[in-house]
Amino acid sequence: MSVCVVMVACSVGEQHFLKGGIAQELRTDGRKRLTYRHTYVKTGVIPQANGSARVRIGGTDVIASVKAEIGRPSSLQPDKGKVAVFIDCSPTAEPTFGGRGGEELSSDLALALQTCLLGGKSGAGAGINLSSLLIKEGRVCWDLYIDGLVISSDGNLLDALSAAIKAALTNTALPKVQVSAEVADDEQPEIDISDEEYQQFDTSSVPVVVTLTKVGEHYIVDATEEEESQMSSAVSISVNRTGHICGLTKRGGFGLDPSVILDMISVAKHVSESLMNKLDSKISAAEACEDDGKEHNKLHERIVISFGRRD
Amino acid sequence: MMMRKIQLPFTQTQKVRYERAIERLQSLSSTVNSDASVIVTDTIPVNHEDAFLKGHGTSEVDGELLATVCGVVERVDKLVYVRTLRARYKPEVGDIVVGRVIEVAQKRWRVELNFTQDGVLMLSSMNMPDGSQRRRTSVDELNMRNIFVEHDVVCAEVRSIQHDGSLQLHARSQKYGKLEKGQLLKVDPYLVKRSKHHFHYIESLGIDLIIGCNGFIWVGEHVEVRDPVMMIDDQKDAEMISSSSSTKEQSHTPLETRQNICRIGNAIRVLSNLGFTVTVEVITETLNLSNSKNIDIHNMLGSEFHVVVAENEAERRREKRKK
Repeated sequence: MSVCVVMVACSVGEQHFLKGGIAQELRTDGRKRLTYRHTYVKTGVIPQANGSARVRIGGTDVIASVKAEIGRPSSLQPDKGKVAVFIDCSPTAEPTFGGRGGEELSSDLALALQTCLLGGKSGAGAGINLSSLLIKEGRVCWDLYIDGLVISSDGNLLDALSAAIKAALTNTALPKVQVSAEVADDEQPEIDISDEEYQQFDTSSVPVVVTLTKVGEHYIVDATEEEESQMSSAVSISVNRTGHICGLTKRGGFGLDPSVILDMISVAKHVSESLMNKLDSKISAAEACEDDGKEHNKLHERIVISFGRRD
Repeated sequence: MMMRKIQLPFTQTQKVRYERAIERLQSLSSTVNSDASVIVTDTIPVNHEDAFLKGHGTSEVDGELLATVCGVVERVDKLVYVRTLRARYKPEVGDIVVGRVIEVAQKRWRVELNFTQDGVLMLSSMNMPDGSQRRRTSVDELNMRNIFVEHDVVCAEVRSIQHDGSLQLHARSQKYGKLEKGQLLKVDPYLVKRSKHHFHYIESLGIDLIIGCNGFIWVGEHVEVRDPVMMIDDQKDAEMISSSSSTKEQSHTPLETRQNICRIGNAIRVLSNLGFTVTVEVITETLNLSNSKNIDIHNMLGSEFHVVVAENEAERRREKRKK
């Protein structure tokens, strides 16, 4: 299953320069093959949502939000809550995403993220513990709606979205719910949602996605749009803190030898350790910053425009 | 100098340093024309007894002339208009531009120039590969793809502006033509000022730097400008070599040159983020700064280096002022 991302115009000379750079371990912006671009995380950007985060990796800018609603667990799995992931590629990122243009890409990204976060059909290997979303077995549970919005696209959307979802889940606070105990079987129990007490969501087992893009004979991490247009194939591997693989997606028209895929998996595991640590520290810094902001009630971005003589 | 909101998040100390550097830069810029700066709905001071023409960016409301855009008021004879600062590329005849070929059409190439319309490069405005000066035949037209294909980066000069606003380009000299072995960077067009020289060859680094007036900047390995007479013999040799090595990889750029290209590319990106005018002096200054502070090439795009460049620029302009 391959999604054709927008093709960036690249002349033969530029392509050659790009591939040469990757072969020589010096990409066009000076990075090594396994280096990420500068990543910035900001949490609590959508006050109406239960949790939200904005992640910027180089030119790629995404927002993730988590909304929790009271719902009824499905009859097949009465002891678990529900989680749904939706991604929207905004036309501000690419003009071709307008109308129905971005649908294919959005659904592919959503499916990949759903697999990474929720594991298989039986629930094995899930990053989010669905049992923790249960309030009363068979009757009341939390429904989490995770939405991702792509504002600006410069390659590596899957990694950015997974980081944003992880940050948004860390930022999520679910209110405590009191359920009336005595109730008949077919009636809905009374629910009292507290305004004061919240419980933070446990995200220690939420995985991160590392996408390895194969250009020529080498793999790179965090490809820009130019580099993605020259790829032969890309493998996205989601790894959690214990080093276990939670999901695997391959894109691109070229086939890969199984030994290459195994090699990519080991490289991804190695890269994910440092990525996970850096991401966690950035998320906790963003959370701390957000708390400070709430306390002092300061305005966030101010636009400063001033004029002077043009020199 | 126009300042705009910077996209990078700064720590508290970095924010303080950055704002101080920007304040110093603003105080250094002359205040002669500060009266001429207007924002939307400012009244433009006009002597109503003289007859005057209302130009772009103005509008008469209740007998007063108001600005409808943010910019600087310009007066030319009787015409009063507001010139915006962040405008699109405004071409003039003789501008050096860098563009990308989007279409190979009948006897011409269409070139994307970051302008409202595409530029047109006629086949007759282009040197023939064998260097001869002759009339272009239909065979030449069929072989246009041997010269430029879609997505090629070309460097040309603006020959004329048509009545409908589209540009006619020409690439008659040897220094114009296809650009390979490098990277193309895009900055806002208002950051590139017209000057005498747009082609720069930095000898110490072996790098060609072409600053197009339309905001496209080419940084690449140095290519020797070849004499067209000698090209006929070279062409035959090149054909023999290319046919034998068509499957082999071409030689890659040497690592040191590549490092310099990446450094210059990042320096231009930093200057574009900060909103500083892009000239060769500023670029080499930023490059030397990054080298002297031993900053890793990729870290040039971090918040710290942006603050350092802003401070350095404030210093440099103060020094220039003193002289």
